[in-house]
Amino acid sequence: MALDITLGQYYGTGSVIHKLDPRAKLLFVLFFIVSIFVAKDIYAFGLLAIVVILSLIVSKVPIRLVLKGLKPLVFIIIFTSVLNIFLSRGEELLFTKEIIPGFWTVNLYKEGLINAGLLAMRIIILLMGTSVYFSYATTPIELTDGLERGLGFLKKIKVPVHEFAMMMTIALRFIPTLVDETSKIMNAQKARGADFSSGGLIKRAKALIPIIIPLFVSSFRRAEELATAMECRCYHGGNGRTRMNVLKMKFRDYVFIILSMAMLAGVILVNIYANGFKLM
Amino acid sequence: MSKMSVIDVKNVNFIYGKKTPYEVHALQNISLSIKENCVTGIIGHTGSGKSTLIQMFNGITKPDSGSIFVDGVDIWEKPKEISKIRFKVGMVMQYPEYQLFADTVWDDIAYGPKNMGIPEDEIKERVETAAAFCGIDSEIMTKSPFDLSGGQKRRVALAGIMAMRPSVLVLDEPAAGLDPRGRREILGGICKYQKESGTAVVIVSHSMEDMAKYCDELFVLAKGKLILQGNCKEVFSEGELLRSAGLDVPEIYGVVRAMRHKGVDISKYIYTVNGAVDAIAELLEGGVR
Repeated sequence: MALDITLGQYYGTGSVIHKLDPRAKLLFVLFFIVSIFVAKDIYAFGLLAIVVILSLIVSKVPIRLVLKGLKPLVFIIIFTSVLNIFLSRGEELLFTKEIIPGFWTVNLYKEGLINAGLLAMRIIILLMGTSVYFSYATTPIELTDGLERGLGFLKKIKVPVHEFAMMMTIALRFIPTLVDETSKIMNAQKARGADFSSGGLIKRAKALIPIIIPLFVSSFRRAEELATAMECRCYHGGNGRTRMNVLKMKFRDYVFIILSMAMLAGVILVNIYANGFKLM
Repeated sequence: MSKMSVIDVKNVNFIYGKKTPYEVHALQNISLSIKENCVTGIIGHTGSGKSTLIQMFNGITKPDSGSIFVDGVDIWEKPKEISKIRFKVGMVMQYPEYQLFADTVWDDIAYGPKNMGIPEDEIKERVETAAAFCGIDSEIMTKSPFDLSGGQKRRVALAGIMAMRPSVLVLDEPAAGLDPRGRREILGGICKYQKESGTAVVIVSHSMEDMAKYCDELFVLAKGKLILQGNCKEVFSEGELLRSAGLDVPEIYGVVRAMRHKGVDISKYIYTVNGAVDAIAELLEGGVR
């Protein structure tokens, strides 16, 4: 079983992008996602691709690493593209063939090909862009901090922002611990002759009981220990709590936010005025 | 008479995180053999590779190169039958109390034998014998394992492996986190089991005192290399080498060494308190001082 998931793929290079305020990065990603779904024209996608490439260069994250992160999604990308090639209808018919006479005919339209290509571009750009900003250049802790501060205004309408952020931080912190624990327990049960890889569905599900129960037991134990430890240090929620590192927006963060707005505006303008291949 | 070996490790290498910046050569060309009918100790500092090494004995971890022979058979020759090796080489992991899961203590001990496909009446006999060996009272057999104390849980986990009647019993830090009495009970129980059943037992630890007391054969690992091997006398007389591997020699060894330093004619092969008492008494009676 593949348990060595690469988690927290933070790749520290100390670049400008790494140093940006996480709130600025959150805003950027928001604008970026909107842009990518607004984009219709191939030139608009081109603009976004340039943004991603520039981000890669500035962040100094090796492209090899980012491409490796795309690997598990290659299947989905190919799958959606193939579906689009054959299922879109358009005007310019390139190829047609009756596979099962009178029942199933495959029609290949030019628009289908364009759609497939642009959709693949959309997914790739989206994944690369967000992963550079969210996983390679920002630690999960920075991200939750940014969310907590960025959504702080919701506290006014009684949304427990701090509590949610704390829950997220704790959850992220314990993922590697749990992965580790799972593999330990699996090994221990394997040593007692447990077999997780043969038999039918029910037999396999049953074989997981000796793993899940100890895992639950130890998770509850950990949770209780952590709660005690937090209480011992007088944690009582977000009110009046001060931080060691207070996030502060700097000049470069404002510049960055303006640039991301410009990106969205650029995409909208290109959509209207450019005349390349368009997504249906 | 030299004893037959039950596990042979030949030129084993293992690397963690291959081809990443975090690559660690955890085991470097290790060759050793575990003898039948005795207690073998594997000592090493944290990160010396001792846990990695013993996880190879039952095929939980596969070596990158080299081979493991159990009863003379290469265990990776038929990868599909690796689970049979796990019945031959019983492994008690670190903190085994965290692997308990069943409704009752009885069911938990019976889990291993059930997986082996042993008939019901024999399972009953095995469970009861193993429980008796580990000092588990019959009244707690119907309790939930989660209601027991830490020491009791560990004994239940140990009984769960013993009930499989492996020909080699491997224990990773069986006494970790127990108080001195718990340590004595569990290690003493294991040694008693070894003597009565005649199986080979391998204990991994970094406690030199325990090892000196219970083991017949010792292997010392440091940074993935086998640096010393032999019986207790041979190993503990290499105090300097052990210290350089980050291990503490038994405290009494320090006393003996200091005495030798002062010119007292005492054997350097002394590593237990009782041994030292005898030697010193002999010296005093002889009127050397």
